[in-house]
Parts: sequence; C-alpha cells; structure tokens
Amino acid sequence: MNHAASKNLNLTLKIWRQAGPKQAGGLKTYQVSGISTDMSFLEMLDVLNEQLIASGEEPVAFDHDCREGICGTCGVVINGQAHGPDSGTTTCQLHMRRFKDGDTIVIEPWLAKAFPIVRDLIVDRSAFDRIIQAGGFVSVNTGNAPEANTTLVPHHVQQDAMSAAACIGCGACVASCKNASAMLFVSAKVSHLASIPQGQGERSKRVLNMVATMDAEHFGNCTNTGECEAACPAKINLTNIAQLNREYLKASLFSKE
Amino acid sequence: MTDSTAQCKRGLLGCLGLNWFFRLLSSSIGQKFVMGVTGLLLCGFLVTHLAGNLLLFAGAKPFNEYAHALHSQWELVAVAELGLVVLFLAHVYLAVTTTIGNYRARREFYVLKQSKVPGRIIGANTWMFASGSVVLGFVILHLIDLRMGLRRSLHYFPDPEAFEAPFHNTMAALSDPISRVVYFVGAIILGVHLSHGFASAFQSLGLNHPKYTPLIKIIGKIFGVIIAIGFASIVVFVPGMWR
Repeated sequence: MNHAASKNLNLTLKIWRQAGPKQAGGLKTYQVSGISTDMSFLEMLDVLNEQLIASGEEPVAFDHDCREGICGTCGVVINGQAHGPDSGTTTCQLHMRRFKDGDTIVIEPWLAKAFPIVRDLIVDRSAFDRIIQAGGFVSVNTGNAPEANTTLVPHHVQQDAMSAAACIGCGACVASCKNASAMLFVSAKVSHLASIPQGQGERSKRVLNMVATMDAEHFGNCTNTGECEAACPAKINLTNIAQLNREYLKASLFSKE
Repeated sequence: MTDSTAQCKRGLLGCLGLNWFFRLLSSSIGQKFVMGVTGLLLCGFLVTHLAGNLLLFAGAKPFNEYAHALHSQWELVAVAELGLVVLFLAHVYLAVTTTIGNYRARREFYVLKQSKVPGRIIGANTWMFASGSVVLGFVILHLIDLRMGLRRSLHYFPDPEAFEAPFHNTMAALSDPISRVVYFVGAIILGVHLSHGFASAFQSLGLNHPKYTPLIKIIGKIFGVIIAIGFASIVVFVPGMWR
C-alpha cells in the first residue's frame, strides 16, 4: 500500500437519525476530521461513532458484517446513490479516496415500504427472507453428496447460473428503484435455479410463489428504468428480469399450478 | 387433482378453471405483460394513423378519398374502434393502478437522489406516467375535435357525410390555436413516451437478449422520433400549405 499517497480528509456528514421504527427521523450534521483516504466508508463511520461515544451521544446504528463485499449486510444510500458512487461495489468496499477534503456526504438508509426502518441506517429486510422461503430453494435427497459428474451442466449454463447466483441480497435494487421494486432480486434467484438441473423440480411453483410473496410484501412494479442494475454490487443483469417475466408466463400458461 | 365440485367452492373463476388467469392478471408481472402488449398494439395503430394522415400533404382530394374508403368499411371500423378503446382503457387503467402501487411501495423519498446509470441525468423512462397523461389529454381533445365533432367553435363542414368534410374538418381543427398547440405538444410528448415504451414493452414480455435488445432499443428511439416528427409536421406545415 502506498502510504505516501494517502491524505487526511475533513468531512461534513449529514446522517439520517431515527431512534426507532415509530419515531420521526431527520438528517443530523456531524463533523469528522483526519479521515485517512485509505479507510473504507464503514471505518469512517466507526471513527464518527468513537467520537460520538466519547462525547456521550448515541452512536449511529448501521448494518455490517463481513466488510469484504460478499455478505450483503451493509448498505446505505450515499449522496443519493445506493452503496455510493462506484459501480459493482458494496458500501464496505467503498473507500474514502473517492471523496475530497471538505466534502459534504449525505447518508440515508434504504427507503421502501417493504423495508421498514429499525433504527438510524438499519432497515428490516426480512421481506427478502420471506420471498426466499416461498421458493428460493431446491429439494434434494439427504445423505452423501452425489458424484459431481453424474449431472452434466454445460459451461455456458453454469456461467449464466453463476452470474445470477452472485446476488448477495443486500437490497440496493429496491433502494435505488423509484418504485421500490424487488424484481432484480427475485429474478436473480429464479434465473439461477431455473438454469441448473437441480432447480427443475420446483421451477414453476418457485416462480409463482416467489412473485406472489413479492407482491404481497408490497414491493413495487418494474418500469424498466435500469437503476437497480446500475446500483447492484453483484452486477446482476436486467436480462434476469426478462427471464423472470418469461418464467412467470410459462408457469402460468403451461404448468399445473 | 380436484374434482369440479371442489373447484366450485372457490367461486365463479374456480368453476370456470380460470383462477390461474385471474392470478396472472392481478400479479405485478402479468400487469406489466398486459401493459406491454397493449402498448405495442397501440404502436401499430399509430403507424397506420400516421400513414393515413400524411396524405394531408398530398391535398384535399387524396385525403378525402382515403377517409371515405376507410369509413365505407364501417363494420371493420366499428370493430377496430372497439378494439382501440379496449386497448387504450386497459393501458390507462393499468398505468394508474400500477403507478399508485409503485408510489405506495416507495412510501418515502430520499433527501438526495442521484442515478447510478452512467450519463443519465433525466430520462424518458422515469416520466412515463407524466408523458402518458399528456398524451391522454391530447387524445381526448383530438377525439372531441374530430371523432365526435363537438367543438362548435371549429366551423365543421355543414354535412358530415359530404365528400369534402374530412379534409375541411381537419383543417378547421388544425387552424384552431388551442388544438394546434395541444396537437403539437401531444405529438412531441408521444414521441418521448414511445422512446422508452417501445423497447420497454419487449423487456416486459420477457424478450431481452444481447442478440437483439440493442437493436430494439435503437428502433424504439427512431420510432419515437418518426412518430413525433410525422405528426408534428402535419400540425406545423399542413395548415399553411392549403390555405
């Protein structure tokens, strides 16, 4: 790491503070100084929280876990962009070198009816869990794992399944969509499991049940603006939503469900 | 498998075995599907309507001949009009209900919001409801002016069945300042609506593939421009040509 290139930043932060789900929230302004450009965005928030704790104020609540961009736990809207200005990046992988000394940074939680705010920057994303419970699984026999080469999957099919499976369920698609639609998330799981042999058994039931749950959880409709795709840290493609539409129509017209 | 008596307990749709159809039409994806199909069929109407109207550049006789040839097939016209009304009402109804649903799903708006799509500041795609509303207003005035002939101030041809009536009445509408402005704005906004709507319909129908989607997007933009310029040029040039 080139420490000679690192600098220290003085920043103004405007952060959404909300004591609980029912309380009114609002932006509160904080000053932080001496933020290294080598820090991640979450480390910068850690510095702020140390500062708040020292001064006897409640620290800012935010979700985080692996801090290496694979778990999907973190996620805030930074200056109006889900996960900040970089494409294909989670909030924890965003670094302070993307900001300039003296910048003002507005930090808000994911906003959607289906994602109620728990506290500050933390939202309840259990609606995603309920969608997955409705069909985002395959039923397989227990016991020893089958021999890997008994079920052959062509390479290009593996590639399609793998790029859809890259979804980490962070919710940036919902947060960035003007309709708070969860179609990119649902389409990633449906496309992933529709591509591989293990997913065929529940293929029709899966798409019908997942879409029904998605609608019941009050996510919005897709208007094909592509904001979700641009905000997605796993770079899930809009073609998956087209596949979701096809799968849904096929299941409606040709399955017994 | 359930027998028919068991199905009948689930209401009329269950008796008819149409629960799946109701589920499809009430789902978010089914509604987008209907939106796309009705939108594309209405695009087809626009092509024929523009082709017919461009005869206004050829003068009164060709236009009147075309209008009478069309309206002499009144059975076909009646079916086509009924079809268009159904398509239009379905498109508008779903636009209203899904927009309300989307607004409720969003619930709260960010203090600050920026697009992450490279180069996008403001796009036709986020203004579909607004542009559609303008087009709806324009269509209503257009129907009042020329389908129903209800605007007394327009000096319609005394006998609506006469050979000269179609061209005369069109000129009467086009020389009215209110209609001229609304038709011009309507044509341009319609083009904006189509520049996203055409390609978007294919995505809603599940047709998205690297093989043809880039082409569909380009065709959608060109289609929007042709429709906008085509109809707007009639409003701008035709009244001056045949004064």
